Amino acid sequence: MEHGSKSSALNFGMIVLGALAILTAIEFAIAITINIWQVLALIPILKALLVGYYYMHITRVFEEDKDANRESFSYKLATNRIGLWLFLISDSFIFGGLMISRINLLGLTRPDLIQVLGLGVTSVLLISSFFANRAEVSMEYGDRKRFIRSISAAIGLGVLFLIGVLGVEWRLAPFGPETNLAGAVFYVMTGFHAFHVFTGVIFLVIVLRNGLHGLYSAEKHWAVEASAVYWHFVDVVWFFFYPALYLIGTLAQ
Amino acid sequence: MNYLIPMMIGASDMAFPRLNAFGFWLAVPASIILLSSLALGGFDTGWTGYPPLSVRAPIGIQMFFLGVFLAGMGTILSSLNILTTVIRLRATGMTGFRMPIFVWGSLATSFISMTATQLIGLSFQMVMFERLFGMGFFDPAKGGNPILFQHLFWFYSHPAVYVFVLPGLGIISELLPVFARKPLYGYKWVAISSFGIALIGFLVWGHHMFASGMAQYLRVPFMYSTLLVAVPTGVKFFSWLGTLWRGKIIFPVPMLFVLAGIVVFLLGGLTGPPNATVATDLHLTDTYFIVGHFHDTMFGGYIFPFFAAIYYWFPKMTGRRMNETLGKIHFWLMAPAFIVLSTLMMRIGLLGMRRRIADYDPALHVTIDHTVMTVAGFLVGLGILVFIINAFWSMRNGEIASGNVWNSRSPEWQVPSPMPVHNYDKPFEVVGDPYDYGLPGSVYVRFKEEE
Repeated sequence: MEHGSKSSALNFGMIVLGALAILTAIEFAIAITINIWQVLALIPILKALLVGYYYMHITRVFEEDKDANRESFSYKLATNRIGLWLFLISDSFIFGGLMISRINLLGLTRPDLIQVLGLGVTSVLLISSFFANRAEVSMEYGDRKRFIRSISAAIGLGVLFLIGVLGVEWRLAPFGPETNLAGAVFYVMTGFHAFHVFTGVIFLVIVLRNGLHGLYSAEKHWAVEASAVYWHFVDVVWFFFYPALYLIGTLAQ
Repeated sequence: MNYLIPMMIGASDMAFPRLNAFGFWLAVPASIILLSSLALGGFDTGWTGYPPLSVRAPIGIQMFFLGVFLAGMGTILSSLNILTTVIRLRATGMTGFRMPIFVWGSLATSFISMTATQLIGLSFQMVMFERLFGMGFFDPAKGGNPILFQHLFWFYSHPAVYVFVLPGLGIISELLPVFARKPLYGYKWVAISSFGIALIGFLVWGHHMFASGMAQYLRVPFMYSTLLVAVPTGVKFFSWLGTLWRGKIIFPVPMLFVLAGIVVFLLGGLTGPPNATVATDLHLTDTYFIVGHFHDTMFGGYIFPFFAAIYYWFPKMTGRRMNETLGKIHFWLMAPAFIVLSTLMMRIGLLGMRRRIADYDPALHVTIDHTVMTVAGFLVGLGILVFIINAFWSMRNGEIASGNVWNSRSPEWQVPSPMPVHNYDKPFEVVGDPYDYGLPGSVYVRFKEEE
């Protein structure tokens, strides 16, 4: 990693989180004041680029092979990275399809939801993503204690997000899935996303368990990286779903 | 594909062997669920599952959706596996334009099925949710849009036909030089044309919906994009003819099937533009003409090359050849009967015979055609029966063939058959172009000596 020492790498993660938080705040402010959908569509793209570059390390996919030996760990690692990213590309098509359905069915209207609660769960997931990155960076420098702490925080916040969406939002929403179109779109989008969050939590828990058993080292921790990248991906999806459900347009009747 | 590709690029296995197995075994629950659909009321909608009928139909359709969904999951996993394998595990010296052409076709196919399959999964799930929870996606009474389903559905289901056809066309391009004993004409263009077909294929789905109430202004763009598919396909035909031209052609069974594939695919290709053009399609839509066109493309682009591939690689898999006489019987039963069948389909379609119905008006005067088609259909079936008998018989009693049966230059034929479990004992190096048949002194693969 080119960012010098461990503490600077950790600090850098925090700077990225700060930038993401500012963007999220701007997004919310625009939504409740002038509500220009073009801007609200642009901000998630910026956030996704930030996360994709700094947290998910997309550039690693294109790195040259240091080791030409096919049986070596680094060669297999690079192969695994390609496989994971292809899976994410594939998965993003289903979310893209959901977004297209939402645009087709609802247009510039949105379901009648509590916007502050949406901001809350978004922040929770964002911070969780930050901790996942922190766990990965710690492992990269062999700091096992901080890795365990950070990944536990990521899991806890992930569960909190699920409670926020499935436990609170689904109960408080003034409509059921069958009431109207907005309800149908809302439940199917949050449901699909929550399922991915759920699998991500399971993934992180397995990594935590293996980490407690001491299976990872600074050199070999592909599972940590993979779970973190998947977790960031789930977060990126929510970057797009959140304005689509909570912010853009006027209330659907 | 999952068997041939590691072999052709010199890998010992797929990049993710366990994922490979998982994707394959998903087919078992998928088939069980699909078959259970028949017992639970079937799926009245046909394979397209259009709402609103699919929302109201009996529970069988739910099973149909679930089964297709699981099968689709297996497809996605296996296609990203193939992509990774080809990107990472090629033999030394095998650059992109030195890969066997079949690998190019498979790459394009995997690219489609990795991305587009998600959309059919989504559309089917949305129908299931509409059934289970009363969500009104496709219900106009709740403000939903049934056309949305067709968009999501055809965004996958049109590229899906290329998922079948591209490996098939790859096999034609792969086998043709072997039996014409000549280099594949325009190798690079054929390789690129596979991706051309795949990419354009993403932009043509609307031509299935010319008559379904899709927005009017979308018709003409979709018409042009559909006609554009003919360009990369034409590249392939040109290459095939160029390869055959003045070649020293030999006619064993695989070559017969390859040639039949080319002829039938040509018929299918030429009947495409009338369907792609809005004005003619409005007359032809939902008639037997479409059925005939579809059968021609599928048999030409998939079924005939598939049989060619089985006859061709059977010795590689089992170490024995398939019986040539039975193979020829299979071919002469199937190919002429099939051409009669599909041509008659198109004829009665033009006369006004509609598809998806069990009876028809005698005033159409198509009774004789239908009778002939039935006989031809049974002949095709009989041919396939001969093939199955041949396959099982040859597995045990076929002529032993452990060497390079077809004098191919592909790496997999340079080692004895059947293939060892982990393919190659010694790694090989690619030092030349794959299809330089007949050029003196050219070498494609060279095996490294013990290191």
